[in-house]
Order: sequence, then C-alpha cells, then structure tokens
Amino acid sequence: MSEGQPIQTDKGSVSRRRFLKVAGGGVAGSSLLTMLEARQAPAQIKGTTLRILQWSHFIPAYDAWYDKFAREWGEKNGVKVRVDHIPHLDIPARMAAEFAAGAGHDIIYNGSSILTRLYYKNLVDLSDVADAAGKKYGGWISPARSLVEVEGRWYGLPIFYILAPMLYRKDLFDQSNLKYPDTWELARVAARTLKPKGHPTGIALSQCADANLFWRSMFFSHGGTEAEPSGASPTLDSKELREFLRFAKALFEEGMTPEVFSWDDASDNRYLASGVACWVHDAISAYRTTEDTNPPVFQNTFLALEPQGLPGKRVSVAAPNVWMVWKFSKNQQAAKEWLAYLIDNDLEGMVQSRGYNMPYLNDRYKKPMPVIGTDPKLQILQDFPKIVAFYGYPGPSTTPIQEIVNTFIFPDMITRFCRGQSMEDSIKWGVGEYRRIYAKHKGA
Amino acid sequence: MTVRSSSGGPDATSARVAAISVASRARSSGWLRSQSSRRLGFGYLLLAPAVLYVLLLVGVPFLFSLYLSLSDANVGDPVASFVGLENFRAALQSDVFYTSLRNSVVFTLVAAVFKGLLGTTLAFLLLQPFWGRKLVRGLVVIPFTLPISISVLSWKWMYDSQFSVINWFLSRMGLIGTYGSPDWPVWLGQPGWAIAACIIVNVWRTFPFSAIVLLAGFTSVPNEILDAARVDGTSFMQRFRHVVVPMIAPILLIGFLFDTVFTLSDLSIVYLLTQGGPANATKILPVLAYQVGIQSGALGRGAAISLFLFPLLLPLMILLLRNLKRREY
Repeated sequence: MSEGQPIQTDKGSVSRRRFLKVAGGGVAGSSLLTMLEARQAPAQIKGTTLRILQWSHFIPAYDAWYDKFAREWGEKNGVKVRVDHIPHLDIPARMAAEFAAGAGHDIIYNGSSILTRLYYKNLVDLSDVADAAGKKYGGWISPARSLVEVEGRWYGLPIFYILAPMLYRKDLFDQSNLKYPDTWELARVAARTLKPKGHPTGIALSQCADANLFWRSMFFSHGGTEAEPSGASPTLDSKELREFLRFAKALFEEGMTPEVFSWDDASDNRYLASGVACWVHDAISAYRTTEDTNPPVFQNTFLALEPQGLPGKRVSVAAPNVWMVWKFSKNQQAAKEWLAYLIDNDLEGMVQSRGYNMPYLNDRYKKPMPVIGTDPKLQILQDFPKIVAFYGYPGPSTTPIQEIVNTFIFPDMITRFCRGQSMEDSIKWGVGEYRRIYAKHKGA
Repeated sequence: MTVRSSSGGPDATSARVAAISVASRARSSGWLRSQSSRRLGFGYLLLAPAVLYVLLLVGVPFLFSLYLSLSDANVGDPVASFVGLENFRAALQSDVFYTSLRNSVVFTLVAAVFKGLLGTTLAFLLLQPFWGRKLVRGLVVIPFTLPISISVLSWKWMYDSQFSVINWFLSRMGLIGTYGSPDWPVWLGQPGWAIAACIIVNVWRTFPFSAIVLLAGFTSVPNEILDAARVDGTSFMQRFRHVVVPMIAPILLIGFLFDTVFTLSDLSIVYLLTQGGPANATKILPVLAYQVGIQSGALGRGAAISLFLFPLLLPLMILLLRNLKRREY
C-alpha cells in the first residue's frame, strides 16, 4: 500500500462494531509491541505452562544453561516452563506426530532441516516478534528471512546458526611452506602435499548433514547455484557444476582417503583431534573437541574464512536453527514472550555455547563479539555473516530443497563421480532427481 | 373353521405361516438358549478383543496408509486430494527406489540365511547339558533385549573408519595392514562392506531370537521318537532333517514369518549406521519411505514407498500360512 493513501471504507462511514473491532485490535497490537519492546511479560501469561521441544545441543553446557534460563524466566513471570530435548534427527517425526495429534509442545525447534514451509498454515505468525527484534538490533542478516518467511509473514524465529570455517594445522602448513587455505585451490594443494606425509584431509561424502553443507559451500563458492532466487526451479545443471565436480574429484583423489564415504557428522572432529588431518572444513565443535582432547594439536590449529572458489567468491552454507509456535498451542502469548526474551539474550547463548551459536541480528556483530571476538584464532568468525547462505542458495529453503537435502542427492552425485561414474552420468542422475522432486512438489 | 382349514383358504395359510413362525422362533430361541450356541457366543466374545486389536491396530493403519498413498497428503496439510496411482508411479521413476528395493531383498534374504544357521547352531548348543546352561540361555538374549539405539551406536564405534576395534584386532593378528594402508577396511564406506556391516548387526541382534524359537521347538520333540530313530541307526543330520524339522515345522514357519516381517520393515539399524549411504548403497525401503514421507513431508509418496513392502511380503505369507494349514490336517 502506498504511503499517504487513505484506507477506503465501505460506505465512507465506520460502524460502531467495526470501530470497536479496529480500536480493540489496535490497542491489543500496540500493547503487545510495547511489551515486546519493554520486555515486560503481560499478566495474562501468569499461571500458564509453556512446553518447549528442542534438540540436544552439541555443547551439553548450553542445554544446561538453556533449561535453567528458561526455568528462571518462568519463575519470574509465573509460567511453568518444561523443556524437552531430543536428537535433532528425531524432530521431523515428532513434529509430524504432534501436528497429527493437534497436541504436544507449544514451541518446537528445527535444526538444519527447516520445515516452516511445510507447516506454516499451522504455525503462529511471529512477524511482530521478528519485526520488534529487527528494529531493536539493526535488522536481520539477509539470508535469515529465506528460512522462515512465507507469503510475507514470519512463521518461525531464527535464533542462531552454526557456521563452518576452515580449520587447518599451521605447523604442518609451515613445515611444507604452504600458504594458508584462503582459496579452495590452496586447500587442494595443501592436501595433495600433506597426504603423502600422513596428513590427508577429509569432507564427509556420506549421507550426513556435513556432506550436505560443506560440499555445497564449495560448489556455491565456485559460482554454482542450486535454485532460482525465487526458489521456483532448480538451476543445478551448469558449467559451474562441471567445474566444481572436476575440482571435487581431484581434491578427493589427491587429498582424501575412502574413509570420507563412511563419515558421520563427528568423524571430522575426531580426524582433526587425532592429529591426522591437515585441514577440515567444519563447525567449531571440531576446534573445541581438539581443545579438550589433544592440546598439542589444538595449539597448532588455526581457523580461516570460507575459501574462495572463484576469485572473491565465498559462500558459506551454515546450519540454521529456528523456533516455531504451533497454532494449536493454548499458550501462544507466553511462547512469543519467551522467544522475544531468548532473542534479547542470544549473545548469552553464544557465550554458553562457547561461540558455537551465531546470531542472526546485525547489531550482534559489533566487534569484539563475545567468545569469538576475544580469542585471536576465532576472531575471523566475526566476518562470516556477509557470506552465510542456506540450502537452496540463492533461493529460499523450499520444500523441494528440503527433500533434496533429506535424501542427500547433492553429496550422492559427487560420490558417484568420485567412485568412478562418468561426470555426465553423475550429473544426469543428480539433475534428474532435482527435476523429479521439484515436479512432484509443483504437482502437489 | 374345519372346512376353512381343509379348503386351504387365506386363514389357513396365515395360520400355517404363524405356526411355522412360532415353531421357528421356538427353535431359534431354543437354539439360542442351547449350550452349544452359548459356547459359540462365548467363544466369539473371547475372540472379540483380538479381532478388535487387529482391526484397530493393523487394519485401520493399513487402510489409512493406503488412503495416504493415493493422495497428495503432506505432513503439514490435513486436506489431501486424490491422485490415483501417481505416488506409486513417482516411486517407480526414481532409481533410488530400485536400489532400495534390491537392498531390502538382499538384506532380508542374507540375514535370514545367517540367522537360520547361527540360530540352529546356538539352539543345539543350548540344548546340551552343561554347567551354567540356564545362565547362558539368559545371556544369549541380551542383544535382543538391549535398546536398539544403544547397541547400534556401539557397533558404529566398532566400524569407525579410524578407531575401529575390529580393524585394530585384525591388524594385531596380522590379517590386515595398519591404519592408512590400502587393505584397512572402511566398513561403512565401501558399498559391499557397508551392507555386510548392516546385515551383521541385524544378525547379531536377532539370531538369539531364532535360537530361542528353535530351542522351544526342539524341546517339544519327545525323546522317545529321537531314541527310536537312533535305534534305527539314523545319523544326526538324518534325525534333524527327517524327524525334528517335520515335527517343529509350524514353529519354524511362524518364526521365519515373524523374522522376515521384522527384518524387511526394520528402519533403525540402517538409519543409525549409515542413513542409507554411501550413495544409497545401504538404503532400504523403510529408510527411503521415512526420508521422503516424514523428513521431507511428502506423506503420500512415503506411504506409497512403504506399501511396496506389502506385495513383497504377501506371497511369502500366503505360502507359509498355506503350508502351515496343510500340516494341521
């Protein structure tokens, strides 16, 4: 609606009922906004119960903090809060069950696989909370919107994402006079040089989240795209895909071992912590694992920004984390209040997760950030929001993209090529699966 | 009245009908009151919970999944429209489906053979008298009773590409090289080894069940019959094949049927070990159905994929049950 244009009413007059409706709505809306801004919970939520379902965080201390933090908020506002933790892979099934039953938790968490678009008709519109947080903290980083926005409304609240930098062994690089891995080509040269010395590299080429995330980062940094900016159709089949596949196979053959075909999301952590890997591309959990288990290797482990594929092109695919509120929830107001409070305290969450949780709000990136801003090795992580992307880049995380991710089409295509299938056959299979899945979702 | 009766007029007819009806009512009420009818009714009453159980917990979900497979239902939208056989066609258009189908059949058949062999051997061993037999009989069922997630995660560690205890042991025995050498097996990374690894876990977990079923069968064979066969000069294998197996065939068939159904529909082992990787080398139909139907939200297509198990199992069940019925007479 253009600015300054009056809203037309039916007959040029306002009935008493309509006046009360509009005025009442306005008062309720503005009071909610005021409360959201002032962070003062309304009296109506007193005596209610709020049930939250979320994953078991990779950093157990974060869960302990979260549960306590939620309980304390509940005590302060007269709300009984119950937090249940389950493995993140079980969440889609649990979500389907709760939706089918029309009962369960008030707030439900999604990690990596964001199902907002599947369920949005049954989720509470959280645009007011998102708008208030955006206004308060300098707006959201640009890819946040693509995760949760459907038809202009926010049906989920992104609270943190998990990024994956390069973690490399500076001692090994220095011994072989290698430049630090600022480009994928330099990373390949390092792996090719260090593998014969007993220090190969590895990125999972199996059916796990890491394989979905990190090979996509490499592909997008080589100029590739997965879907149109609107998300309407796939754009996988391209000369960039061929260039990327050629590079990926060379990197695998020269710098990796077949172990990567069997890896899960924690294997690269162990690979680095064991002192074998010359570099890994992973979340900072690998850094923390090494810190806790192998101090000498940790001393020599350094972090680098996402490597460039094409000159100046860095795209880092991160694992998003989003909270949603069911429409069937009888305590939607308390749910919104809690989420707004959680966003206000996302930096505390970052501290408790030892720098693992990265915020989505621009003002949070004022340097130095907590934890990562004070550790010289981790400071580089503060520059990631400019290059962060999610599945479906440059488009949103649509339902076909979720199916493609959940059935591991992209890493499987690379695996086929690395295992000896011809490039064109691998692409034909991968692109064919993309098109088939997109067609199915369009048909539905 | 007599005349009317003899003439066979309308009154006579109605009287006859009434008489027949009264007689029949008397007969039926008599039958209803009879002991045999009451026993029959009581039988049905006792059977009713089982029938209801099957209808509610098996029939209704089956019909519901049939309905889902013919619709475009997704997890977030309760309103679905009829799409005919479109979901089945979609499954048949994907080569991942054929890979999963093949893997499901291979997984079930190979696991069944090994479970049969190991289960029989174990059952015979447990039949022998030895000190601590009761304790051993209790211990062998531990794999079957452990929570599946815990036992599979333990196996996952044993199959780890870097820290595999199996590889460590084989390496110490000099059967394979050290870590990093070309003959160091990557259990979950090489297609052949990966499916073998999943089968090993399934066999390890469920062969004690086969052994217990067989043990129950073996102990039901009267010793007199076995002694008579022994007196006739039969060997162990002859006694097993011609005496024991025919006598315990119903137990064997039911055990086999249960095991096949459980193995073919088992999601946990493959999902927890490999999620179907590498490159779908271990993907089986339940895993694919879960990934498409639940994780990706396409309930209709997921239901269609899982229903492909039905035509696989149906002929087998019919054959086994007919065989079982024939043996009853």
